[in-house]
Amino acid sequence: MIEVEDLTVRFGGVTSVNQVTLTFPAGACGLIGPNGAGKTTLFNVLSGFVRPETGRVSAFGDDLLAMPDYARARWGLRRTFQTEQAIEALTVYDNVLAVYEHTTKGRAARQAAVLDAIGLVGLGDVAFARVGTLSPRQRRLVEVGRAVVGTPRVVLLDEPGAGLPEAETEHLGAVIRTIPDQVGAMVVLVEHDMSLVKACCEWTAVLDFGRLLASGPTAEVLRDPEVLKAYLGQEDLQ
Amino acid sequence: MTTVDAHSALAGEPVSTVPSRFGRRSITQAAIAAAVFLIAMFVLPALTSTFWVKNFTSAAILSIVAGATGLLYGRVGLVSLGQIALYGVGTWVTMRLGFATDWPYPVLVLIAGVITAVIGVLLGLPALRLQGLYLALVTLMAAAAFLVILADTKFPTGGPGFKGLVVEVTNSDSMRRPDVAETDFGFYRYVLVVAVIMFGLALAHLVSKPGRAWASIRHSEAAALATGVNTTTYKLWAWGLASFMTGIAGGLLAAHVRSPSTFTFGVEQNIILMAVVVMGGVATLWGGVVAGLLVAVLPELLQKWGFSSEWSLILFGTGLFANLLITSWQLDKAGIKE
Amino acid sequence: MLNTSQLFPFLISGLAFGAVYAMSGTGLLVLYRTTGVLNFAFGAIGAMGANITWHLIEKTEWCPDWLAYVACVVVSAALTLLYGVVFAPRFANRDPLGKMLGTLAFALILLGLMFNLWRSQDARGFRLPTGTRRFEIFDARVTWTQVVAVLFALLVVGGVTIFLRATKIGTAMRAIANDREISSLLGVPVRRVETAAWLGSGVLCGIVGLLLVDLFGSLDMVLMTWFVIPSLAPVLIGQMRYLWVTFFAAFVIGVVEAELNASNWGWPSQYRKTTAYVFAVGALLWFARKRTIMISGRATR
Repeated sequence: MIEVEDLTVRFGGVTSVNQVTLTFPAGACGLIGPNGAGKTTLFNVLSGFVRPETGRVSAFGDDLLAMPDYARARWGLRRTFQTEQAIEALTVYDNVLAVYEHTTKGRAARQAAVLDAIGLVGLGDVAFARVGTLSPRQRRLVEVGRAVVGTPRVVLLDEPGAGLPEAETEHLGAVIRTIPDQVGAMVVLVEHDMSLVKACCEWTAVLDFGRLLASGPTAEVLRDPEVLKAYLGQEDLQ
Repeated sequence: MTTVDAHSALAGEPVSTVPSRFGRRSITQAAIAAAVFLIAMFVLPALTSTFWVKNFTSAAILSIVAGATGLLYGRVGLVSLGQIALYGVGTWVTMRLGFATDWPYPVLVLIAGVITAVIGVLLGLPALRLQGLYLALVTLMAAAAFLVILADTKFPTGGPGFKGLVVEVTNSDSMRRPDVAETDFGFYRYVLVVAVIMFGLALAHLVSKPGRAWASIRHSEAAALATGVNTTTYKLWAWGLASFMTGIAGGLLAAHVRSPSTFTFGVEQNIILMAVVVMGGVATLWGGVVAGLLVAVLPELLQKWGFSSEWSLILFGTGLFANLLITSWQLDKAGIKE
Repeated sequence: MLNTSQLFPFLISGLAFGAVYAMSGTGLLVLYRTTGVLNFAFGAIGAMGANITWHLIEKTEWCPDWLAYVACVVVSAALTLLYGVVFAPRFANRDPLGKMLGTLAFALILLGLMFNLWRSQDARGFRLPTGTRRFEIFDARVTWTQVVAVLFALLVVGGVTIFLRATKIGTAMRAIANDREISSLLGVPVRRVETAAWLGSGVLCGIVGLLLVDLFGSLDMVLMTWFVIPSLAPVLIGQMRYLWVTFFAAFVIGVVEAELNASNWGWPSQYRKTTAYVFAVGALLWFARKRTIMISGRATR
């Protein structure tokens, strides 16, 4: 689990994250909120790209903020980005291998590990195709594959469903649901697509204007009148 | 929400058969490379004169520098407008050691490569924080400074002291060649073999861990860091490799022209190099070969056909321009803004 | 070691070159901030203009000298506008490096053309009317060109500052420099303003070209073409934003370079031609101290 304590992040005059304290339990968790609520900033703090002004973050007992950014991946922290970062010049296999060989020691099991991850996301038949030739949906799955290869402990998914049609988000949801069991990592999912959040996450936190608005079991949070007010006019939660 | 069959959606069947890494594409490419090498090695010299063989030797040497520059730019995303300065360092070191010692020529060239690599890494270190235009500018400025120093230091001619200059330059003050390749034809083949080794070294990097890390860095440094790539180490490694290759090329040049002049290493040569590297293409190492031919053979061809050699400047400029136009148009089509 | 009698004359020379650096720097900076293009063809364009001037003076009977000088400015402005209006928009979707490479290509083409059109081996050059008249201050001989250069630089930088603050187009330029997209959304006529920037920079190009031929004493097109490289040093010291920092940095560099020539300080004097480059590298490395990582274009660290 991830414990965030009194986290504050400021950019110039803007306070993106304002004294947020919350604990993400194990399993798959959602992190939602209107645009600009501070969700991606929180991810950036976790990844190490942003230094918070105050606050502590620990994951499974380890102080995350004390580790340099590239070391966090080795520790087991993985993330996807809003703009997809799969490398077009390489094959799916090489894309996933590139993550494995920089986060996990030992060459022996690497082929099996890479293929396992590719199989998990359902890209087995295009494993050796260059990512540049794949569809946007497949590229998203490559991203997820890179995030789950090896033995990650925390997988942060930043709007993996953005722009995907309904059928494809369902497949994505099914993949995400298997991660805690099959990969053994906890998942934090930032999403605007509520159906995806409902499908994957048992627990959800809501941010609004950098503050924690609500947190708890997903169904309850999504019924919370404060949360509905924050989203009024922006999302159809039916 | 419709239920999804978890198993089929997740492709539970393990991917057990791994198609060979070296698919048909790689084998074809290897065959082409071998064919080109053999033709260049044995067929070409038989068809041409000493004059042209010397030009092709220059082309081969410059293709190493171009390949290194193209690798940095196209594979790692590092733009270096200063490779010619490192090229000069390689030549200078080879000549200085060549006069001061009687070590065998391959040793000289290797040492020149290593020293150039060290310098390249030392220069790459402060430049790590820069990218794009700023990296281009810092490499250009550093090279310009280097080249001022080189123009003053000149190339060693067998004398004492650090600079190794003699007061009166006689004919015997020129760089020696390896015993096995004294003639122009022999040296041409020697250079070809070294070029193949250098390209092989680069290729070995590209298909393995460093190559994947570089692709990751080039695509997005942030994402590379998020996947555990130590971008500092791998960027420096790239600088080291490119500088090593360039230094080796410099060493080859020393024995090729025997008495290099500092005029060969002007600031504008860096710019011409970048132009031909872009024209040759930075996506593959073959681009380096094309670039080498463009910069070494084209001006001579033009003169043969009655044009002044300065027409090559116009052609390089136009070629660079055309390439930029095409890639801009491609970016536009894909809806990408750099 | 320190030869004080030589310090002053070289100071004058240093100020004159500093002035040229300042004018080039201004032209490059304003153009870069307005259009995103770092014009590497700045020197080549000026050289082309200067060559045309030389040609008109030496090779034609009918052309009066003053017209030849005007021709330099006109040709430079025209060539710059040509690039800016016809070619630069094709690279609008590229990063600053890509835009700069376009101008590099243009420079190579111009250089090749110049070599072909004026291939004479003899030393060529011309002297501006101000270049033939000198006067003495404190035992130093000063040509009027040097004085004109310094005055002109002051005028240009002062004029540009006023222009940027007080005129509509100038304000529009500052808006675009600040944030192009928002400016365009707010109705700033981006294309028109950019054209103005190209034009102004082209005129400066021509003036710099004329002064350089006089100050160098000869028309060396290679030297003039690549003069753009050290000219960037003051721009970099000004962090590619601050006009007056660029201005003063230009003079500092010019004077330091000249003073290293004046006295023999050992190896710094020997390598005085690296002055601008050393400053440039220093500025780039210094201002990059705080590393930023870009995620989809926005710096987050």
